[in-house]
Amino acid sequence: MNGLIMNGLTTVRLWDWPVRLVHWVMALLIPALWWTAEQGMIEQHRILGLTMLQLVVFRVIWGLVGSDTARFTHFVRGPAAILAYLRGRGGDTLGHSPLGALSVMALLTVIGAQLVLGLVAQDEYGLIAGPLNHLISYEQAEAATELHKTLFNAVAAFAGLHILAVLFYQFAKRTNLIGPMLTGRKQVQAGTPQPRLAGWRTQVIALALAAAIVGWIAAGAPPS
Amino acid sequence: MPAIRICAMIAAAASLAVPSIAAAPDTVKARQDNFKSMGRSMKLISDELRKDAPGFAIVRREAAALERAGARIGRLFPKGTGAEAGVKTGARAAIWSQPAGFRTAAVNLNTATKGLRAAAAGTDVGRIRAALGATGGTCKGCHDKFRVPD
Repeated sequence: MNGLIMNGLTTVRLWDWPVRLVHWVMALLIPALWWTAEQGMIEQHRILGLTMLQLVVFRVIWGLVGSDTARFTHFVRGPAAILAYLRGRGGDTLGHSPLGALSVMALLTVIGAQLVLGLVAQDEYGLIAGPLNHLISYEQAEAATELHKTLFNAVAAFAGLHILAVLFYQFAKRTNLIGPMLTGRKQVQAGTPQPRLAGWRTQVIALALAAAIVGWIAAGAPPS
Repeated sequence: MPAIRICAMIAAAASLAVPSIAAAPDTVKARQDNFKSMGRSMKLISDELRKDAPGFAIVRREAAALERAGARIGRLFPKGTGAEAGVKTGARAAIWSQPAGFRTAAVNLNTATKGLRAAAAGTDVGRIRAALGATGGTCKGCHDKFRVPD
């Protein structure tokens, strides 16, 4: 949506639907994964875990080829930029702030590590195991399973920090981050260029590629 | 030397009364090793069954190992080797307070591993998988009642 100029403001489409969908489904999956694990519903946990894997793989691909505001090159910044932003000298950036980028990358990394551990984890009865469990020994898988249980604390901590930060922006800094993440739209100064959005072909290819990778992993990563 | 004799008698009596206390850590380690070997065997069988061409020799070997290890369980829980002995163990007191239930659980396992060994004599992957599932079910059935949850 472009145009709609009023009071020197214009509305841009900030977040495309893949970014928003990935975000909100992840937000639902994290508690669901925790709950199914707590209840010993390991088969459901496994299915939800593979869904999470699909999201993360897609998001990484999207971070390379997706819309401007989804790309890592667009928002991942060095320590100097982060410090400047913290001192209020960052200037306005459209999309993730340098600090928000840290949040994105921390969550993606810790969830990614949790997924890798889950892929090789096992129940102790040799009945249900991650699709890549056969690639490692029983002892290694036991250790990975223990670590998988422990690392959830880090996932919860980063997710909690993320929510607190968003609430801080909402109430202390009067910046609504939640609305744009829901609608995709944000009011900005007139004249701000609309970030380039990836077309449907890119979306289809990225989705198909992620599905192929996850399908291959779910099948136990056969060599051929 | 009556004092020494009395001491010796007390020591002898003590060792008779609670013969397993000194050996509790060893017993706990032995049974944990036994259960770990069972877990290892379960995984090795499971890994083979996932392959397009399972190694049935491995499946047979591990099924036999499971049956032997399962048969040892009855001897690995002597009285005095629970948490009250000051050892780190996941064994619940119910093992000793409900011996009949624990024995039934062990017999269920023995029956299941026997079925698994019988299935593993053939090459019917579906049958072996079902027998492996039944064996895993008896592990879980016992753990739910007699092991401290994680």
